[in-house]
Amino acid sequence: MLGQVTVEALTKTYLTRQRQGLFKSTEKAVPALRGVSLEIRPGELFGLLGPNGAGKTTLIKCLTTLLLPTGGRAWINGHELTQADNAIRATTGCMLMGERGLYWKLTARENLVFFGALYHLDPAARRRRADELIEQLGLGEIADRAVESYSSGQRMKLAFAKALINDAPLLILDEPTNTLDVPSARELRAVVRDLNQQGKTVIYTTHIMAEAETLCDRVAIVDHGEVLALGTVPELKASLRREAVVKVEGVISTKATHAVEQLPGVSNVATTLNGHTTLTVVSQETHAALLPRLIETLTAHQAVIQKIAPEEPTLEDVFIARTGRTLADDTRVK
Amino acid sequence: MTTTLPGRPTLSQNLSAALAEAQLRFTNISRYPGQLLTNIVIPIVFAAMPILLGRATGGASAEANFAANTGSGNFVGYLLIGSCVFQFVSSTFFLVANWLRFEQETGTLEAVYLTPTSSATLLGGVVLYSTVRSLLPALIAYVVGCLVFGLNPLDGNLALALVFIAAGLIPLAGMSMLFGAVVLRVKEANALLNLMQWVVSFLMGIFFPVAVMPPLLQFVAWLFPPTWMTNGVRSALLGVGYFFGAWYLDLAVLWVFMFLAPLLGWWVFRRTEQGIQRNEGVGQF
Repeated sequence: MLGQVTVEALTKTYLTRQRQGLFKSTEKAVPALRGVSLEIRPGELFGLLGPNGAGKTTLIKCLTTLLLPTGGRAWINGHELTQADNAIRATTGCMLMGERGLYWKLTARENLVFFGALYHLDPAARRRRADELIEQLGLGEIADRAVESYSSGQRMKLAFAKALINDAPLLILDEPTNTLDVPSARELRAVVRDLNQQGKTVIYTTHIMAEAETLCDRVAIVDHGEVLALGTVPELKASLRREAVVKVEGVISTKATHAVEQLPGVSNVATTLNGHTTLTVVSQETHAALLPRLIETLTAHQAVIQKIAPEEPTLEDVFIARTGRTLADDTRVK
Repeated sequence: MTTTLPGRPTLSQNLSAALAEAQLRFTNISRYPGQLLTNIVIPIVFAAMPILLGRATGGASAEANFAANTGSGNFVGYLLIGSCVFQFVSSTFFLVANWLRFEQETGTLEAVYLTPTSSATLLGGVVLYSTVRSLLPALIAYVVGCLVFGLNPLDGNLALALVFIAAGLIPLAGMSMLFGAVVLRVKEANALLNLMQWVVSFLMGIFFPVAVMPPLLQFVAWLFPPTWMTNGVRSALLGVGYFFGAWYLDLAVLWVFMFLAPLLGWWVFRRTEQGIQRNEGVGQF
């Protein structure tokens, strides 16, 4: 049986023009999705985690019929992509471009009623649904003011309300907490969780590790257009159980970092600069074997170690192990 | 609550969505009342320049000279009609093209493409709004312009003039789709609109009869539906003479355009849209 969303070997290649001087340009193929396959079960809160440019949004745009895939197949809510696009759009609620996608000269109520009409709700149902969402998301005080007068967070809330207007069984949310302040992001996540508990399937893309870790039933780590890992958060962490993760903070030169990369068993080293350097070292060896060699190598390269500690793997470590990069700068917990 | 049934929407649901699209635009423009006033004033000012120039240079024989070339001595009415029809035509083009470009930039184009309402229905709503929004100020401008320049706006065969306008609406909508497709493809509305305004005004004979153009340009002008609409209105109100000698023959040409222009416009628009969907998507700007 098909899941709520089933994706089989989906590919997408963009054709871009490379400018060469004033008048000449050549066409270049840029692969954005390279054979993505996954299945999202009914009632699941599914996270797509990856850095900017990983292919998350391209995947979402394909699944929401905005883009035609170059190859592969997909079924959304039981309807095959490119064969029943209208039915897919009717049964999916989307929040893709954040606060963009709203009519700023109109009020929240006018926006919601308008989008209700485009989802073919009858006039009374549009107004009723708009009222319900305004109430549910606490937009009452601003509902009849032009959107242009809203704060960024209020506009994000309205964009989220717009995604709920057709009460669809599948919600696709592309980085919905972007630009929200801490309480608003928390509030929105609570509403998402609530909707999920009521039975809605949710696809939630984010580049915020903590968000994916706390919210999602299963997470797919996407990078360079490929699904690098897929599973529940404990499953993903367990996949690193045979590997050791050590965090080192201090004054560490690039030369020292390169030396650490050359150590036997070290599979990945990610660097974060926050006033000082933090290295996250993932190794196939045990902590006991790795730690002495690591200290020895760093001190031999004049590194000043302020803190060194073995760590239980986090989702970020999984990401580092799979991609060789860190998302630390983007993982501020809201 | 009402849930959306997947599949094809009914005709009434499509109509309701198209009306909502048009209503959205009327609500939006109601928040810019100055724009509507400008749409009324511009064609009068635009016509005033050649009218005053004609009075200044033609003197007492201005009307006789004009009649010799156009078939009507009422050059004030001739220029005013040209200006008002031009305002109507160019404003319709502008509103359809601007809809696509503006919404592409603000992100709302992608948002409406995410809904089960087809682009044909959306376009229908936009064309409906653009037509009403362009036609009403043009009609008001004609009446006000007549009063300003001392003409009787009720002179001539008003009913026939309105028939020519009505017949010209549908080909105009088709051409707007064609133009919208170009804007969607090249992602540049302003430069295209500026160029288009000159081409449109020239081909439809805004201030002169098409007959004075070189033969090749006359042929091009005759392929342009607004040329037939403008001449039809002028003939009905001022008696300048139909291209084929009788009103029903000129109207028949507009009927042919009425079938061809929307089909061509929609075909090109749909092909462009599909091409964009295959590559960057409608939201890319």
